[in-house]
Amino acid sequence: MFTGGSRGRALLLALSVLFAGCGQRPDSAGPITLVFKHAKILGPSDPVPALLREFERRHPGVRVQAESLSWNSDDQHQFFVINLEGRGAGFDVMMLDVIWVAEFARAGWLLDLTPWVPAEELAPHFPSTIEPATWNGRVWAMPWLMNVGVLYYRTDLLAKYRLHPPRTWEALVDQIVRIRTAERNPRLDGVVWQGRQYEGLTVNALEAIWANGARVFGTDGVVFPEEERAAGGLSLLRALIVSGVSPSWVTAADEELTRRHFGDGRAVFLRNWPYAMDLFQTANSPVRGRVGIAPLPGRVGGAATAASSGGAHLGVNRRTRHPELAAALVRFMAGGEAQKAMALGGALNPTRMALYHDRDVVRAHPDFPAVHDLMLRARPRPVTPAYLMLSSTLQPEFSAALVGVKSPRQAIEHARLRVGYLLQGLR
Amino acid sequence: MTGRERDDARAGRLMLAPALIALAVLAAWPGLWVLWLSLQRRIPVFGIERFVGPSHYAFLAVDPRFWNAVQVTLIFTFISVALEFLLGIGVALALQGQQRGRRTAVALLLLPWALPSVVTGRMFEWLYHPSAGLLNFLLGGQAINWLGEPMLALPALIVADVWRTMPFVALLCYARVLTIAPDIYEAARVDGAGAVATVRDITLPLLRRVLMIALLFRTLDALRAFDLMFVLTGGGPANATETLTVYAYRSLFQTLQLGFGAAIGVVVFALVMLVAWGYLRAMAHQEEAPA
Repeated sequence: MFTGGSRGRALLLALSVLFAGCGQRPDSAGPITLVFKHAKILGPSDPVPALLREFERRHPGVRVQAESLSWNSDDQHQFFVINLEGRGAGFDVMMLDVIWVAEFARAGWLLDLTPWVPAEELAPHFPSTIEPATWNGRVWAMPWLMNVGVLYYRTDLLAKYRLHPPRTWEALVDQIVRIRTAERNPRLDGVVWQGRQYEGLTVNALEAIWANGARVFGTDGVVFPEEERAAGGLSLLRALIVSGVSPSWVTAADEELTRRHFGDGRAVFLRNWPYAMDLFQTANSPVRGRVGIAPLPGRVGGAATAASSGGAHLGVNRRTRHPELAAALVRFMAGGEAQKAMALGGALNPTRMALYHDRDVVRAHPDFPAVHDLMLRARPRPVTPAYLMLSSTLQPEFSAALVGVKSPRQAIEHARLRVGYLLQGLR
Repeated sequence: MTGRERDDARAGRLMLAPALIALAVLAAWPGLWVLWLSLQRRIPVFGIERFVGPSHYAFLAVDPRFWNAVQVTLIFTFISVALEFLLGIGVALALQGQQRGRRTAVALLLLPWALPSVVTGRMFEWLYHPSAGLLNFLLGGQAINWLGEPMLALPALIVADVWRTMPFVALLCYARVLTIAPDIYEAARVDGAGAVATVRDITLPLLRRVLMIALLFRTLDALRAFDLMFVLTGGGPANATETLTVYAYRSLFQTLQLGFGAAIGVVVFALVMLVAWGYLRAMAHQEEAPA
């Protein structure tokens, strides 16, 4: 790949010398092509191609070629890492999972967008998307798609027992016990969430830990400074399983597994991302019209609510040959007009706050004003270049606490030691 | 050595050269590169790149996650290969005794072996599905947590692996069984040997060489097991199914600790070479021993 690249460059040089001899500039040979690498956009229609044509119309002589990657986040990460570390310039603009931005910026793979993006251009986006975009005081990417952990609940079941969506996990457990005792339906589970050993577990465990009033990093860089409270967060999740409020198989569950279970009408509550709502409202859904959305519960004596944000940002390959145009494409795609088109056509949520009260968008997604309030309170996962190392070190510890191989306190203790050792080596 | 012989030897070396060069480029060079990488601390994200000698290996020696992965890999290899052989030989013998529909049986047997492993993984994901899975349904609507319970997850993966690769062993054995001359069995029958004695004293000894080769292939494959864990459990719960290759993948491609990941890769390589060497020696001994 490496030698191929330099040989290709040599060839290009030779050709351009040749053409220079003919009195021709290679740049004017044809239109400039920007390559945009992104994950497949899910939803009823893909609005990306139309947006790119619009960008081309505004920038004559520029062609944008969209190339989609697999939907699997691990595969995308691997693709980018191999190509960026191999100094490939095969693409100009890329869609990044929000947890990679700091990592790619630290590695020197992203173009610093600060010269093109003034601070006021970021302000209309949700606060929890700005923090990852501006690691180390520079702008590395622009927020594009937003995600937040939410609590889905069965409106019919809660109404039947005159209950309101629970504000704390303690209340949620009480409600489940009450509903299940009265319903006498052994096929109805309480709350389902994601406990399989993968990134989703990190998200769910962090939400429980935050809800209990603990942080991942203290101001001085200490890991889990509120050790007892962090362990208390994991204890809550373990208790949900032991008491049967959550089925034991949540320890192997991901988003889709839990979404289907709740969608079949087999659980009172579900923790998931907002994408599931559209699927619950389809014509043949067993729970159509009986699903509500609420903030994730907090804890008595802890935080009021603690939901993790997620989503995607757009960044520019530092080795792009057209930084000016690539930055323009990122700004265009993250702009209000493009995000509105994304919100109307795709099943994904925009990062611009105003769109959640836009008349056209709300007509297509009546739940958007409610989702807006949840997103406003979302917290980003720790913004650090070592995020993937951090998460993959925490996952086995969290998993061990959920299945009871380690006590929550032990799991936090081991997590502290391992993460501390890891980060020490990076300074 | 005559001049002619010398010429022959030179021509021989010349003809071997392309194969040797290909081996050197495709196997030896990347192997040496990985070994060299494993002696460095190399984390591109943080711009870290320095020689650290064998310190990754020293860390692995006391790393509980590594020893857990070694244990998982060895248990997985031993049990799945043993089961594949018991079932594979059984199936081959059953095919031998079958009168009708052998062709259909062989075709069906090939199916699991021919499926891409990710497809197999997805299929077992549905079989093991806690609330909608066929397995729990057949067990009378139980909600057994096949992939989320540390004691069950590894056995569940072993079953999937056995289903997938048992046909390989069965077909190899069956092919060998077909070449056993019928008169040997006839002679045995005339001598009054029963069915058990025939299998024990005739079929199995004749299968020995092909079994050794199948054993070599299967063991080396199982030691590098990756895809089923990756698709079904991600190495969890609590690392109960994290094999050495999954640990290496996480270090190399997910967290980009290239030197450290390479060190795990070297350990897998050494393990595989050791086992291969052991098998090849055992096979050589057999060749020498009178049949």
